[in-house]
Amino acid sequence: MASVKIRNVEKSFGALKVIHGVNIDVEDHEFVVLVGPSGCGKSTLLRMIAGLETISGGEIVIGDKVVNNVPPRDRDIAMVFQNYALYPHMSIFDNMGFSLKLRKRPKPEIEAKVMEAADILNLQPYLDRSPAQLSGGQRQRVAMGRALVRDAQVFLFDEPLSNLDAKLRVVMRTEIKALHQRLKTTSVYVTHDQIEAMTMADRIVVMNAGRVEQIGAPLELYDSPANLFVAGFLGSPSMNFIKGRFRREGDQAHLLCDDGTALPVPAASTAWNDKTVVLGVRPEHLNLAADGQGIAATVDVVEPTGANIEVFVELAGERVCAVFSERHPFRPGEKIALGWDIDKVHLFDAATGRRI
Amino acid sequence: MQPKLKKSLIYWAMLSPLVVVILFPFAVMFVTAVRPRDELFVYPPRWGFSEFRWGNFAEMWVKTNFGEALFNSLYVSVLSTALALVLSIPAAYALSRYRFPGKGAYRTFLLMTQMMSPIVLVLGLFRLMVALGMVNNLNSLVLTYAAFNMAFTIWMLQSYFSTIPRDLEEAAWIDGASHFTSLVRIFLPLAVPAMAVTAIFSFINGWNEFVLALTMIRSSDDFTLPVQIYSQVAGRYQVEWHHVMAGTVLATVPVAIVFSWLQKYLIRGMALGAVK
Amino acid sequence: MKSLNGFKPLAMIVPGLLLAMFIIGYPVLDLANTSLQEVSRFGQLRGFTGLDNFAEVFADPLFWDSLERTVIWTVTVVLGTLAISLPIAIILNDDFYGRGLARVIIMLPWAISLTMTAVVWRWALNGRAGLLNATLMDMGLMAEPIEWLAEAQLAFTVEILIGILVSIPFTTTIFLGGLSSLPQDSYEASMVDGATRWDQFRHITLPLMKPFINIAIVLNVIYVFNSLPIIWVMTEGGPANGTDILVTYLYKLAFRFGQLGKASAISLIMFGVLLLFTIIYVALVTRGEKDSAAKGDA
Ligand SMILES: Nc1ncnc2c1ncn2[C@@H]1O[C@H](COP(=O)(O)OP(=O)(O)OP(=O)(O)O)[C@@H](O)[C@H]1O
Ligand SMILES: [Mg+2]
Repeated sequence: MASVKIRNVEKSFGALKVIHGVNIDVEDHEFVVLVGPSGCGKSTLLRMIAGLETISGGEIVIGDKVVNNVPPRDRDIAMVFQNYALYPHMSIFDNMGFSLKLRKRPKPEIEAKVMEAADILNLQPYLDRSPAQLSGGQRQRVAMGRALVRDAQVFLFDEPLSNLDAKLRVVMRTEIKALHQRLKTTSVYVTHDQIEAMTMADRIVVMNAGRVEQIGAPLELYDSPANLFVAGFLGSPSMNFIKGRFRREGDQAHLLCDDGTALPVPAASTAWNDKTVVLGVRPEHLNLAADGQGIAATVDVVEPTGANIEVFVELAGERVCAVFSERHPFRPGEKIALGWDIDKVHLFDAATGRRI
Repeated sequence: MQPKLKKSLIYWAMLSPLVVVILFPFAVMFVTAVRPRDELFVYPPRWGFSEFRWGNFAEMWVKTNFGEALFNSLYVSVLSTALALVLSIPAAYALSRYRFPGKGAYRTFLLMTQMMSPIVLVLGLFRLMVALGMVNNLNSLVLTYAAFNMAFTIWMLQSYFSTIPRDLEEAAWIDGASHFTSLVRIFLPLAVPAMAVTAIFSFINGWNEFVLALTMIRSSDDFTLPVQIYSQVAGRYQVEWHHVMAGTVLATVPVAIVFSWLQKYLIRGMALGAVK
Repeated sequence: MKSLNGFKPLAMIVPGLLLAMFIIGYPVLDLANTSLQEVSRFGQLRGFTGLDNFAEVFADPLFWDSLERTVIWTVTVVLGTLAISLPIAIILNDDFYGRGLARVIIMLPWAISLTMTAVVWRWALNGRAGLLNATLMDMGLMAEPIEWLAEAQLAFTVEILIGILVSIPFTTTIFLGGLSSLPQDSYEASMVDGATRWDQFRHITLPLMKPFINIAIVLNVIYVFNSLPIIWVMTEGGPANGTDILVTYLYKLAFRFGQLGKASAISLIMFGVLLLFTIIYVALVTRGEKDSAAKGDA
């Protein structure tokens, strides 16, 4: 197994530059998830690690070898494709054994390895079938199996669960995580599903428009996002943002909104006085204030999800979402008062989007 | 009545005039081919005849030198197809898998040559073959058929190749295959049906071609089937129609059967790219 | 690694490209050259004469007659083919008993070379013993056999009908491809909206099929315009040049009368016309691709 180092990597398709100098260090045994909106360059980056795309600038190091000019077959990596890419003209057994066969491994060894992988993934009954005769979830497992038999240094996954239905996705998510805990193979996993990222990753890399926005452990990113993009991207329902002018007086600080409301915010340096900043509050950090206190809000829409209720309210002229685990009997149009714990909210510079 | 049955009857009634007109020449062909010679020209003309003369076929085979023409047609169709495929497969692969400078222009060129018909250029082609010393040489047909067929074969192959997912080959590279191995072990097995279908259509084109064969081939030893059969009809005072029809039966029926079997692939190919 | 490597794909297309350019390009250039020269019957070039060959072509009444007939031939065959093929395709696209067999039969003429078809028809239309006469007389439609191919007007009409017959399979195939790509849900939606079958045809099928109809028109125009075997085998443009179209006239000039200069000039003129149609075709195809690409993005 090996680490993967991505150093100042750039990628252009003709004149179009899609990756702008990315740096990521994936430690040995680590499970790193690349997450970001569609088109931000996740697949491209992963394919560069795999050797399926040329590297336009910078270098990629696997183990201690620069692999920029190493063809995929010599990189000792395994990859699970979004559409599985199973060879339709081969049986499941041959699909899983193909890489070993290419490496001219003895038959008994191939058989043993394939059986072992099939065992782990519950695929024994299907080994003689062709891919067309399997369900989506089974195909997905075969694609994993093909990677497993390899004992590769690095596993690469490109949205391997996106073609599965919601339920199966949750099951496979857990299976992949369990598998990694067992095998500890260095893994780079691409997804645009932030829940997958949060649940599976040792560390998350949030990408946007060909750049890395932040790298860190899931909760670290969740609790202290480095900028507006990361704050808005992670978490569902996503963080509420309210814009206003910052004002600090003594130990107390306020955000003055356009409609005149003053909202309590953490006390940042007085240097920010009168600058436009953005307040970020996660829906679950909004709570009902005691009578006569808090910020006035008008209930707009109430959406029960079963476990929680999501309430959309009008607060300081903005639409804000709050999540409660108690089943408050709110009605649309009802006036309520909300508040928040000042330690749990975030302030961002409206001009740069950076965390204050 | 069951609605589908009623619909079927109406449809068949609507199709029947056309069906009759299409099948009519086949009936003419068979009925003439097995007729005794002296019942060809009877007055008033009639369909019926006294006995089946299967011997007409054997007689025709010998008298009209059918075997040789058959061989010539096979030679030209097989070789031109082979040449066209050998040149088209890499080109179609490049079109479906790579981006390269001039790709758009190349596709336009293909579309244009697909529309170029030999007849407009036939004089120039003849002069070219004179210059190459290849008149009266079946290889002149091999070259021209291959060249004129290539646009079609490349389009057809390209549209099928594009349906073979690219990530299969990528998966093979990651599994440890070289470009060559992945081509041979992954891509080719999946592309074989498409290549077979394309080859058969190219073969049929060569088998049926008339104008160039009529122009380039002067000696009757080298006639291909269409020209050989035409030569028994054109400019003759007395035409042995039972032999001619026996010849057309032998020359067309096998091809028609293969074609009927494959026509659905052609529809699919059209839908995939040749027309779209 | 793949997408940027510009050299390998070029190496893959070049051999075929060279053959096509040579076999198609050389004749075009040679024809252009020959058409500007005086040429002996044996093909020797005797020096430039400017546009004399073209002038001679334009002064030739047979050229104008053939041109006129070419237009009639092309327009009637193409329109006739379209008028028959569209309903046929709609029928064949629907589900009914024996559809597979019907498809095979309708496609049959495509499998057979035009030469063979024409030979068989030439015999079937024989004025004395032809089986078409036999059929019509058996049915009591006529008392005397008809000489179908002896008189130019009648012969040309018959040839047009056969031209339509052999063009139907290809055209139907294009339409079938088009029909199978039509979205089923628009039909269902229109049914919910209360449309009759005729409404569906006029407001859904026809507009959606328009690109395919356009392509079918252009391709058929090109094929029919260039089609030699039917007329050549059945009447050789006769009697008395009465069924000559441009391709048969051109073939006679080149390979019967040895008027190579004139033949080259006509070839070039036809090449120009063909090029024009082809450009229309390419424009249609590329537009279609852009449309579907745009749809794919949406
Ligand atoms: N072969 C290519 N040629 C040109 N542009 C490309 C090519 N491949 C990708 N791109 C562009 O590069 C950018 C990044 O694409 P990429 O596939 O890496 O996105 P992604 O983050 O994986 O998105 P998704 O979540 O939708 O899969 C996109 O804007 C895409 O249009
Ligand atoms: Mg992607």
